[in-house]
Amino acid sequence: MAAIFSSPTCVEVIEAIQDYLPALYFAFSRGRTELLAEELGREWDFLTSGEKRSVRWMIQEAEENNPGLFGPRRQNLRRLLLQGIGYHHAGLSPLLKDLVEKLYESRLIYVLFCTETFAVGVNFPAASTVFDACRKWDGQEFRPLLNREFFQMAGRAGRRGYDPVGRVFVRIDERFPEQTGFYREDEVEPVRGRLTISPNTVLSLLHWKTDAEIRCLLEKNLSVYQSNKESRQLRQEVHRLEEKAAELARCFCPDRGQPCCELYRVKLRKELNQLKKSKHRNRADSKLRRQEIQILLQKGRKKCRYKVCLDAAKKVRRLEERIHLLHKRLKQLEKHSRDYVRDFENVWGLLEKLGYVQGRELLPRGKFALYVHVQEILVTELVFSGILLESPPVEVAAILAGVDYQPGRDEQVIPPPFSLERVEELRRFLFQSGVPEHFCLWSPLPAALAAAWYEGATFDQLLGMTNLQEGDIFSILRREIDLLRQIERAAGEDRVLAGLARELRRRLDRDEVAVVGV
Amino acid sequence: MANKKETGVRGKRRPRRRRSKFVLPAAPLQLDPFQEEAIAALLDGYTVLVAAPTGTGKTLIAEKLLEHILAGGKGAVYTSPIKALSNQKYRDFGQLFGPERVGLITGDLSINERAPLLVMTTEIFRNWCFASPGELEHTSHVIFDEMHYLDDPERGTAWEESIIFAPPHMKILGLSATVPNIQEIASWMAEVRGDVVKVIEERCRAVPLEISWIAPGGDILDEEEARMEIAERQEIRRWRRHYWNDMMAAGREEFDF
Repeated sequence: MAAIFSSPTCVEVIEAIQDYLPALYFAFSRGRTELLAEELGREWDFLTSGEKRSVRWMIQEAEENNPGLFGPRRQNLRRLLLQGIGYHHAGLSPLLKDLVEKLYESRLIYVLFCTETFAVGVNFPAASTVFDACRKWDGQEFRPLLNREFFQMAGRAGRRGYDPVGRVFVRIDERFPEQTGFYREDEVEPVRGRLTISPNTVLSLLHWKTDAEIRCLLEKNLSVYQSNKESRQLRQEVHRLEEKAAELARCFCPDRGQPCCELYRVKLRKELNQLKKSKHRNRADSKLRRQEIQILLQKGRKKCRYKVCLDAAKKVRRLEERIHLLHKRLKQLEKHSRDYVRDFENVWGLLEKLGYVQGRELLPRGKFALYVHVQEILVTELVFSGILLESPPVEVAAILAGVDYQPGRDEQVIPPPFSLERVEELRRFLFQSGVPEHFCLWSPLPAALAAAWYEGATFDQLLGMTNLQEGDIFSILRREIDLLRQIERAAGEDRVLAGLARELRRRLDRDEVAVVGV
Repeated sequence: MANKKETGVRGKRRPRRRRSKFVLPAAPLQLDPFQEEAIAALLDGYTVLVAAPTGTGKTLIAEKLLEHILAGGKGAVYTSPIKALSNQKYRDFGQLFGPERVGLITGDLSINERAPLLVMTTEIFRNWCFASPGELEHTSHVIFDEMHYLDDPERGTAWEESIIFAPPHMKILGLSATVPNIQEIASWMAEVRGDVVKVIEERCRAVPLEISWIAPGGDILDEEEARMEIAERQEIRRWRRHYWNDMMAAGREEFDF
């Protein structure tokens, strides 16, 4: 219809592809999936009355076990599900995600608006997949989807046994037509090694592995393997090019570089021309040089087939440029493959300075950090500085929730009724001692949520304290439970600390936050 | 147009054509050649990498291997990149092999840790390789699902350390989406583990994909048409910007008068 000035909508997309349902409609923000679902829901209803009955029945069944399933925030989803429309993203509570997945598997959802996570792992095939956009936020910037990412999602189209082909639709955005993606499966990106050296890796290596094994990790990891392989190829290429250059140079005669050689004369003529045009042409040294050149040029040219030499010289120059580039890349690679040994020694040095190790021997701090796998330095210091044991348990729950938490834009939680200054102070001290920030990530943001949950608040009360979504709160608390298990293990003989960790975990692992139905 | 607007229960639009009721396709009884090949290599005791598009039946290879391992009284570890997937696999394997033979270990949860078949996150497996390789003495295989996570900037390390430090007696089955350098990864694994690594690649999708583009307004375009459409729209935008600039300039001139 009046497409020219309308903002592009999913309604017209779905109208165009209505013969290819069910569809997975990939969008790259949570808000966008909800917005699109709402938009479609205003105009479309996909279910027959029989199907609606099934949906209602499945919802009822799910709600019987969990009365607050849709909570205050997801009533719109219930309405949409009854029209055969759904949305699915990491902000939903796991139980609700489960329900949406079950409905989808029962073929009661015809259009599911979802984020990338729906395409990882569990296979939910569809008749078609739609891409709302071809760019995603990767934590730092909006960037185009990789071929690999595109096909991971696109590949959900096409159900074995029903669809002759899987249809993939990429929406052209009227406002940003140039951002439309074109993807090829034979251009999928290669896998690169991504090893990084964390304090825990260094401690684990020092404690459990031999020198030979340590060397194996540092010198034979995938990244080094790949750059060594590239270096080898580059060196071969350099060798080949050098041989070629030598071959070409064979046509040069002993007179090369003499005034009678045309190669040299070409060079001289060029220089002469430049000197004539230069703005310094009236300076004494310029005049002198010009005379010199003219004298040289007056000596006659040797009679030879100089064109062969000119040609060869040009080719040699080009080869030399290429060789130069290859050498540059080789140097880069060489530097890179040394990085792991350097990284390892840097972290080792830091751990020595902080009193975690002495040579290869682990000290008490090191032995503790050995069993901690997130922000191991910060967590260990929280224990050894006494902060965890001296603070009331509710504050400990609050502090640990913030470990490794990186708040997103405009996330808000009411502040907790106590001060977290000691943690901030500890972090400042660690920064001063040379601990890099990424080994010390912590945020006060989730503190109040964990404290309230520890003290027995309901999940709806937590939702009232923040604009974070159900799924976020769930994962903050699950991650804390994970961390508490690590601390309990690391505490070893320290009964008091282990007891504290266990008690905290017991109080956090309940109701909506407990994992059920596994 | 008229039948598109056919109104439904609440006066909303309904799909133009109801598809016939779906029938569950019978599970393919016949294994695909690449599945046969992979299973044969695994039973011969090789470390195997399988690269195939989603939905082609990589899981079936893993299931056949697990069946064999459990029947032989050995143990196996199955790792997956995300918790939701681990939970799902735990349920699936429980149904397939009996819940008493399957355990689940993630950072925040562990169930039936002594079971011969353990589903875990790759991070947990990595920790075991360091701290308690003894626990893996009777475990003959580790299966890495979605092994292309090696390339994940944040989590790839766990896969890499697992591959390098998995006890030497263990064989690996790596399941990966299509990656162009699977052969390179195999040679690296062969070097670092001192083991023979077989690569099995399947490039064909079970159902081929057909990519189209949708123009504003709802027309379905093929690649060539889409490129033309995009070029046109960019042209229009340039023209509009021009037009506006001219208008503004004209406006200013008028104003200057």
